[in-house]
Amino acid sequence: MEARGPRRFAAPTGRAVSAREPARVLALWCPDWPAVAAAAAADLPASEPVAVVAANRVLACSATARAAGVRRGLRRREAQARCPELHVLQADPNRDARLFEPVVEAVDATAPGVEVLRPGLVVLAARGVVRWFGSEEAAAERLVDEVAALGVECQVGIADELSTAVLAARRGTLVPPGKGAEFLAPLPISDLAVEPSLAAPEREELVDLLRRLGLRTIGAFAALSAGDVASRFGTDAVRAHRTACGHPERPPSGRTPPPDLTVEQRCDPPLERVDAAAFAGRALAELLHVRLAAAGVACTRLLVAARTEGGEELARTWRCAEPLTPDGTADRVRWQLDGWLTGRSRDRPTAGIEVLRLEPVEVVSAGALQPGLWGGVGDEDERARRALVRVQGLLGGEAVLVGVLSGGRGPAERITLVPVGDERVPASDPEAPWPGRLPPPAPAMVLTVPPSIALLDDAGAEVAVTERGLLSAAPAHLRWGSRGWQVVGWAGPWPVDEYWWDPAEARAVARLQVLLDGSRALLVIHTSGGWKVEGVYD
Amino acid sequence: MGELAEFPLDGVERPSRQERIQSLRRRMAAIPARGEVERAAPADAPADRLLPVPEPLADVLPQGGLVRGSVVSVSGATSLLIGVLASVTAAGGHAAVIGHRRLSLLAAAEMGAQLQRVAVIPDPGPDPVEIAAVLLDGMDLVILGLGGIAVPSSRTRAVTARARSKGAVLVVVDGRWEGAQVRLDAQVSGYEGLGVGRGRLRGTRLSVRAQGRAFPARTTRMDVCATRTRTEWKHADRVDSPRRPVAL
Repeated sequence: MEARGPRRFAAPTGRAVSAREPARVLALWCPDWPAVAAAAAADLPASEPVAVVAANRVLACSATARAAGVRRGLRRREAQARCPELHVLQADPNRDARLFEPVVEAVDATAPGVEVLRPGLVVLAARGVVRWFGSEEAAAERLVDEVAALGVECQVGIADELSTAVLAARRGTLVPPGKGAEFLAPLPISDLAVEPSLAAPEREELVDLLRRLGLRTIGAFAALSAGDVASRFGTDAVRAHRTACGHPERPPSGRTPPPDLTVEQRCDPPLERVDAAAFAGRALAELLHVRLAAAGVACTRLLVAARTEGGEELARTWRCAEPLTPDGTADRVRWQLDGWLTGRSRDRPTAGIEVLRLEPVEVVSAGALQPGLWGGVGDEDERARRALVRVQGLLGGEAVLVGVLSGGRGPAERITLVPVGDERVPASDPEAPWPGRLPPPAPAMVLTVPPSIALLDDAGAEVAVTERGLLSAAPAHLRWGSRGWQVVGWAGPWPVDEYWWDPAEARAVARLQVLLDGSRALLVIHTSGGWKVEGVYD
Repeated sequence: MGELAEFPLDGVERPSRQERIQSLRRRMAAIPARGEVERAAPADAPADRLLPVPEPLADVLPQGGLVRGSVVSVSGATSLLIGVLASVTAAGGHAAVIGHRRLSLLAAAEMGAQLQRVAVIPDPGPDPVEIAAVLLDGMDLVILGLGGIAVPSSRTRAVTARARSKGAVLVVVDGRWEGAQVRLDAQVSGYEGLGVGRGRLRGTRLSVRAQGRAFPARTTRMDVCATRTRTEWKHADRVDSPRRPVAL
């Protein structure tokens, strides 16, 4: 047994080390991530002492808390006793992962192929990023900068092996090739268990046992023969021993990218006419739907992008209440290009369309969208929808609108118009309280561009609304264009001071109902530009 | 048998002249236009052939609603139009509003309209009548704002025939349209709740005149009153001093 053990473990690794080029691994570690994420979610400044607690034990703490003596594994009471101003927050893996996602994206944008070991720690193959930035130092610096741009502190370590790189990142060290074991040797033995994503749960006990045996550093543990370790301590110890010796481990496995559903067509010669573009759009829509069907998904949000020879780009996202069909997709491409190419919009392109791209922004699994067998979209609804789609084909997608009740105070802002087929989303929440909103009945006629009028008192002077929301005088005459009326009744004013916190949108208005002699009642509004008619009770 | 001649059997067996003309007109209306497939329209199912209208208005219309396949011309107060829009969509119908930018959908929603079934086409391009003709196939009610133009009778005949064959009601506003079966004219005759510097507007009193090719002109008064969250149509219960409205 004694003789066979070393051979069994040492021989293959030795061969592997000599045979392959050391695959450098880069690890990026955000210190105390659970505490950082919890503080960010609770809007606490980084300087406050924070501890994240799970099962009454401190899981992670911020640097200020650590300075006050808080340690991992302490009881909550004890941590609070050591640092009375400690903010104690509950652990939430979902929150940690959610807040870590921007960091992953930032790293992924700089160096693709990131593997997230846990929220707060990512590893990636260093080869590409080091070659791209010229040196390991430059690459590490660049990544730290990218992450720092998000307001997150991090450290980078590079080494031959994954575990070594993670430990190097905790110290912000770049370990030269082949020097992994040397770097690890002086580190305390407890570092073998410091990273829960790389160590089995029983690693803590192993480390404790090794310390009691007098092995205080990783180097001392690595000096044991592998055979002895395997026969005495078990499988996890073998893994720990390989880590301690800096023996090869698995390389980082990058995230598998989601299936690419985007379809693109290069047009040669470039498309100048709408019918040609519509034809290309139809073919592209068919191709997109073949891909969507193969992936088993349906598209509810589609980005249609077109680029001209001159480099101008027109992109629009279509949100749809129900999944797009190939025809619906083709229609949307046509509507969008129609407006652009025929110059109905102001920014008409200077050259023909060179690239046409359809990108599903939001997909849902196709199974979730089976229409109901009974009580689904009825025959009548379907007929009406087809008629509206035909009109959209004639006039463009934006021409056919459907209203949805929205929040607001004036009669015009309480209706949001969205194109038919899009999701009916109000501009603001209609359920929220809107103090100052006029009660029913709403004026039957709403003037979208309010015409200016003059509201005069008995002496012929302009009536104004004071800062306290009162009329300066009783209105007696109303002049609208070339005509004038006597005012026989009025109610209000109802002052509304909207968005006063935002100078760009601030709007202080007052509404007044005015009854004209022998004519209609009007809803008039007093703005900084004088009186205007907003609606007619008709 | 001679005694029987004294009873007014004539009146029972033979329709009066008025009824005969009406039935003939109905049959003429059912004759499809050239090039269109005849649509099986059961003559004795009036409930299916009617679009609902606000209750006070139903009393002045001889059938108690707008007959499907007809063209209605509406002038005057917008509230009447909104009331029809609200009743039709609240009963599950689909409606489209073409070229009538000023119509308030909020007022319609307060009267109970289902806004998801109201399509609005504020800018119908150079030919709004064409858009209306497309929408008649699929919508129950199409409100067409003509913007003051007069449509030649050659066009109106084709569109009227289309409305008839599809069973939709075309409501024409703000323009001349030859051959509308029903003409409705609403005038505001007063308001409720608005005082001198106090109160607030609670209701509008309308005087509605209905006139059709098949029935003489009738006038009724109705109130559009607001409750806490919505607007309701009521018969005017008392006659107040009429205030002649003047066009703006």
